[in-house]
Amino acid sequence: MHLTTMVLSSSLLTIFSILILPVLGTLNPSPPGSLWATNSVKTAVKVAFFVSLLPLFIFLNEGVEAIMTNWEWMNTLMFNINISFKFDLYSIVFTPVALYVTWSILEFASWYMHDDPNMNRFFKYLLIFLIAMIVLVTANNMFQLFIGWEGVGIMSFLLIGWWFGRADANTAALQAVVYNRVGDIGLILAMAWMAVNLNSWDMQQLFSMTTNQDMTLPLLGLVLAATGKSAQFGLHPWLPSAMEGPTPVSALLHSSTMVVAGIFLLIRLNPLMDNNPLVLSTCLCLGALTTVFTATCALTQNDIKKIIAFSTSSQLGLMMVTIGLNQPQLAFLHICTHAFFKAMLFLCSGSIIHSLNDEQDIRKMGGLHHLLPFTSSCLTIGSLALTGTPFLAGFFSKDAIIEALNTSYLNAWALVLTLVATSFTAVYSLRVVFFVSMGHPRFNPISPINENNLTVMNPIKRLAWGSILAGLLITANISPLKTPLMTMPFVLKMAALTVTIVGLLMALELASLASQQFKIKPASAPHHFSNMLGFYPSVVHRLAPKTNLVLGQLIANQTIDQTWLEKTGPKMTASVNLPLISSTSNLQQGVIKTYFLMFFFTMILAVLILVI
Amino acid sequence: MLMVLAPTMMLLPMIWLCSSAHLWTSALAHSMAIALISLSWLCLPMEAGWSSLNTFVATDPLSTPLLVLTCWLLPLMILASQNHMAKEPINRQRTYISLLVSLQIFLVLAFGATEMIMFYIMFEATLIPTLIIITRWGNQTERLNAGIYFLFYTLAGSLPLLVALLLLQNSTGSLSFLTTQFFPPLQLHTEASKFWWAGCLLAFLVKMPLYGAHLWLPKAHVEAPIAGSMVLAAVLLKLGGYGMMRIIIILDPLTKQLSYPFIILALWGVVMTGSICLRQTDLKSLIAYSSVSHMGLVAAGILIQTPWGLTGALILMIAHGLTSSALFCLANTNYERTHSRTMLLARGLQMILPLLATWWFLFTLANLALPPLPNLMGELMIITSLFNWSNWTLLLTGAGTLITASYSLHMFLTTQRGPVTSPVVAIEPTHTREHLLMVLHLLPLLLLVLKPTLIWGWTL
Repeated sequence: MHLTTMVLSSSLLTIFSILILPVLGTLNPSPPGSLWATNSVKTAVKVAFFVSLLPLFIFLNEGVEAIMTNWEWMNTLMFNINISFKFDLYSIVFTPVALYVTWSILEFASWYMHDDPNMNRFFKYLLIFLIAMIVLVTANNMFQLFIGWEGVGIMSFLLIGWWFGRADANTAALQAVVYNRVGDIGLILAMAWMAVNLNSWDMQQLFSMTTNQDMTLPLLGLVLAATGKSAQFGLHPWLPSAMEGPTPVSALLHSSTMVVAGIFLLIRLNPLMDNNPLVLSTCLCLGALTTVFTATCALTQNDIKKIIAFSTSSQLGLMMVTIGLNQPQLAFLHICTHAFFKAMLFLCSGSIIHSLNDEQDIRKMGGLHHLLPFTSSCLTIGSLALTGTPFLAGFFSKDAIIEALNTSYLNAWALVLTLVATSFTAVYSLRVVFFVSMGHPRFNPISPINENNLTVMNPIKRLAWGSILAGLLITANISPLKTPLMTMPFVLKMAALTVTIVGLLMALELASLASQQFKIKPASAPHHFSNMLGFYPSVVHRLAPKTNLVLGQLIANQTIDQTWLEKTGPKMTASVNLPLISSTSNLQQGVIKTYFLMFFFTMILAVLILVI
Repeated sequence: MLMVLAPTMMLLPMIWLCSSAHLWTSALAHSMAIALISLSWLCLPMEAGWSSLNTFVATDPLSTPLLVLTCWLLPLMILASQNHMAKEPINRQRTYISLLVSLQIFLVLAFGATEMIMFYIMFEATLIPTLIIITRWGNQTERLNAGIYFLFYTLAGSLPLLVALLLLQNSTGSLSFLTTQFFPPLQLHTEASKFWWAGCLLAFLVKMPLYGAHLWLPKAHVEAPIAGSMVLAAVLLKLGGYGMMRIIIILDPLTKQLSYPFIILALWGVVMTGSICLRQTDLKSLIAYSSVSHMGLVAAGILIQTPWGLTGALILMIAHGLTSSALFCLANTNYERTHSRTMLLARGLQMILPLLATWWFLFTLANLALPPLPNLMGELMIITSLFNWSNWTLLLTGAGTLITASYSLHMFLTTQRGPVTSPVVAIEPTHTREHLLMVLHLLPLLLLVLKPTLIWGWTL
């Protein structure tokens, strides 16, 4: 075996065994001590991160990619499913990012969840969640990918519904699974199509055998799958609802795991859709619609976690746009940079929420710049990185995406929508910073404000460094797979920055107008649209379940089962036979005297007739 | 084969002769030993076709998993019934266990039979102990009605099969399973041969049950005692699938057209029974309807007659057998504590019985087919083979998976999550017996993930 590939595969196996070891440890019947969460889980993730740097450096140095196939799992008529791992740019770069972010989130969670009696279990769930994500990222065949895919879905169910006594948390958890299941139908469609037409689920075989095939149907299935998992328009409402989970869960869910899985699937299978314009423009339009719709929703939310959640959704839309532009590497870059600042924004909001005694409404915050200087600075850094401020992490991916968009010959409408969404990003980011850290305090004077704890500061600090440097480090070290367009008109080059600055200025103007009553009756229709999430949940969450439940009750159960099948079947048999039975049995009641009397009379009558 | 059959028959004298104090433990130990012996069938060379052949019985890759499942389930049934039988007189306990044992004898003979008529007789013979179990040990008066439904649906379906088999004997001169693939092609051109086709399959479709002939199943499941529900869901329904797989070989040219309405009906049933599950208030009824929904998928997979479809059907039968049996056991643990099957009366049980909530969660996941559990492998293979037949079936199967996930999680959330309801605050804690029961259901399911080819059937 070649030395480099051996190092790659053995370090991956080391990562897996390091991560699985704490999970297996919990099978021990004696409960782990209270320090298990930090000592065992956090250390495991930390060590795994350092181990994962080894393949990363080898990859950066030699640019080597590898595939490892271990054992034949099952085999049906020449159709093999093997345990097989893939080490390419995407899995080698993504694994350290995910581990780094998760390490920080776990450390933060040990502070955030310290009074939860089941903290060990919480950490175990987070760890399994991470393992499922790494399975998904490193999978080399569709079945293995599906395991990771469903794994993150089910773990998100457990984590979103962590406070299971609350109806809201349970609803949000169920919502996440149901929306994801809609997407799974698409993945199942694609897998069935591949099994039927290509007789393989292995990635390299899929790529080599599909050159002359019409792949539109399975690709649309994959887009549906990504729509469910990555909360694109139509299947997006579960993502803001997922904020019912504890803040570390939101941070993990929205940064490096789960929601990017859908985009990752499309990046991974991009060679299939390379020259399928229909699917690409579907992605483009879907992404543009998502990014502008969710950015609009983010504008008027008051819950700090909801705003950040919608901004995630908007960034996912941007990634989908990039897939539609046929630039998977840029989308991947955005996944990586986005993971850092989004995780940090959530951790900051978690710190703020905790400090203000579980207050999430930004209208009841303010002036935190003086009281939580570190957290609010990092919140600002994160917001700046999110808006694409030059030379922070977000800039390197976002600006490249918008340049690619501007110089492409694709749908101009999608382009305009994306630019609008970009300027909205500046608006809602400023709104968060303005309401949370600027101005005067509007919260309860006796709030337990304290951020001077290393388990708060360190993770946020690490992620802040990531948000500042990650974009530069990744772009400087990875050679682009597709030739980027280097020359373009000045206006196009500056478009991203211009719209962002315009958005910022508008937001500042709005902020200064907010305190003055400029109009007696403000125009409320657009506000309601944005605040009520486009009325989408109010319509869909009522209509679809109600239709289905009515179908179940009225048609399936009452009309078909109880009426047609039961009344016309067994019950009718009984009721049709009953008159026959009762009339024959009524005749025979053992009334001997009457029988004899009847017999006697009829005989007399017969004799009389005969005689006469 | 006798290695299992003889000890199983010897269970009967043991039950009646051993002292009452050791009745349950010795029955359990004995049946568990039989189950472990039966595992040796899995080691037989699968590629060779028939093995451990004698005059009347044999095993092959199709019947082996079902035989092992049958043997595995008897100790579990004994384990599950122990608590609710404890208050009965000792002779009734002995009768009860004897009935379960006789059921196993009939089932082993049915799955192992090499002759269609013997299969038919054993298929019918299983009705007797099941009927007694349902109507004697059921909980409500509705059990009598349920027994009538159970008996008459199955009998009405299977009498045509007898006639059809006699006709087959008349025209081919043999009813042996061993030689079915060597039969000369039957001359099936007349209208009457279509009725013969229907006669051959109807018994199994009712037993499966196909949507439309499924009414007996929820009633029987709901009213049966726990062991009855377990064996019904886990093994008796599979008799239908197994019989269909065996007999469909000789029906060859006709099935191609005639099976279409049945496939559509089965898939439509997946969606409809799933929707009924969404509205169920009764826990056992929900699990029973979910069985109908899963078996609809199995029926479609068998009728499509591709290697993938047949394999997927067998995998799903085994996986569903373990999963639904475990869900019935869980429902029974609730029932023994709250004495009600209504879901809303026992909520938030995770607070009180946390480990039981873990089992609930795991089996809910198995029911909604989480990869890489065998449930998913089976469903995926059936969905793929149906997709190969017609792309549009994905609408129904896809909706089926969505609805399955919804009602499974609805069941989990309603019983385990949320605030604790007042009737359940003072309930007894779980027994180790119940946890053992769950582990014994889960263990085969997890081990099959590692070597799924054991239940791969013919297409090894």
